[in-house]
Amino acid sequence: MKWAFRGALAIIIIAAGVWIWLTFFPGPEQAIRKRLAEVAQLASFAGNEGQLAKVANAQKLTTFFTPDIEISVDVPELRQKFTGQDDLLKAAMGVRSVLSSLNLELLDINITFAPGKTSAIANLTLKVRANGERDFTPQEVKFTLKKIKGEWLIRQAETVRTLSRALNKNKLDGILSQASASARFWSAAAPCRFTST
Amino acid sequence: MQRVVILVVVCFVVAKFVLLPIRISGPSMLPTYREHGVNFVNRLAYLFHEPRRGDVVAIRLAGPSIMFMKRIIGLPGETVTFHQGHVFINGELLDEPYVRFPCYWEHEPRTLGPFDYYFVGDNRSMPQVDHTEGKASRERIVGKVLL
Repeated sequence: MKWAFRGALAIIIIAAGVWIWLTFFPGPEQAIRKRLAEVAQLASFAGNEGQLAKVANAQKLTTFFTPDIEISVDVPELRQKFTGQDDLLKAAMGVRSVLSSLNLELLDINITFAPGKTSAIANLTLKVRANGERDFTPQEVKFTLKKIKGEWLIRQAETVRTLSRALNKNKLDGILSQASASARFWSAAAPCRFTST
Repeated sequence: MQRVVILVVVCFVVAKFVLLPIRISGPSMLPTYREHGVNFVNRLAYLFHEPRRGDVVAIRLAGPSIMFMKRIIGLPGETVTFHQGHVFINGELLDEPYVRFPCYWEHEPRTLGPFDYYFVGDNRSMPQVDHTEGKASRERIVGKVLL
C-alpha cells in the first residue's frame, strides 16, 4: 500500500513538473497555439466593451502581427486585402463599430514548420459568431508565422476556399479577360451556411 | 463494472473512428435533411470503393470539428454545368429526384481534376451566392452520411 502511494505521488510530481516545464518553456508548436489563441481572444469582443478597451484591444491585436502583415479575405460578403499594421488596426476598429459582438474560436489547428523552425504555416477552421447569434459561420484560414526576436508573429493570413468554384485554367483565363464575366465569377462565391458539427 | 468500462471504451472508439456523430446546421440540404437534426458519418464507407454520385458526404475544413454536408454530383474528370437550374454532367442532364424546390442556377462548365469531386446541397431554391458548393479533392471527404 505504501509503495502504491509512493508510486502515485511520484507520477503526480513528474506530471506537475512536465506541466510547469511546458508552461514556462513551451515548444514552438505550443507557443504558436498559445499565440493564435491570444489573437482570437483579442479579436473577439463582447457587446459591453468600452471605448477605451476597444482601442486598447485593437492596438494590442496588431502587436501579434509583423509590420508588413498581409491579410487576404475572400469570402462572399467581402473580398479585400489589408497590408500593414495600420490597415489592420483600421479593420479591427471597423469591425468593432459595425458589429455589436464577435466571438472567434479556432478549431483543428494543423501546424507545419519550415526547416530551421523559424517560420510555420498554421491551417485551421475559424468559427465565427457575430452579434450574439446562435448560428455560426465556419471559415478555413491559413496563417503564415515568422519567429522574430523569439516571438512568433503572423506574417500572412488568408482565407481558404474549402469548396472551390475555380474553373479550369483556359476557361478561367477567358473569363477573367472579360470584366463583366469576371465580376460574375467572383460574385458567385458562397458563404459557409451549411455545416454539420 | 468491467462491462461498463468495456461499453464506454467501445462507444468512444466507435464515435471517434467509425460513426462520427454530427449535428446539422443550415438549410442547404433541405428537404432531405432538416436543420438541427442529428446524424452520423460513416468513416469506413469508402474503405473498399470510391465515393459515388448521389452519396451525401461530410467534407472537412481544416479538420473534422466542422464539416460541410453535401451531395456528390460530379466525379473525377467530369465536366459539371448548371443551366436553368439543371445539372449537366459531360453535357448530359443529371436526374436528381432529391431536388424538390425550384432552381434557376446558372454556372459555366467546370472540369474536375483526377482527384476532384463536385459537391452541392439539395436545397437549390436558395440563391446560388448563398449556397456553398464546388469542388474539393478526395482527401477532404471524411465519410458518408449514414441515415
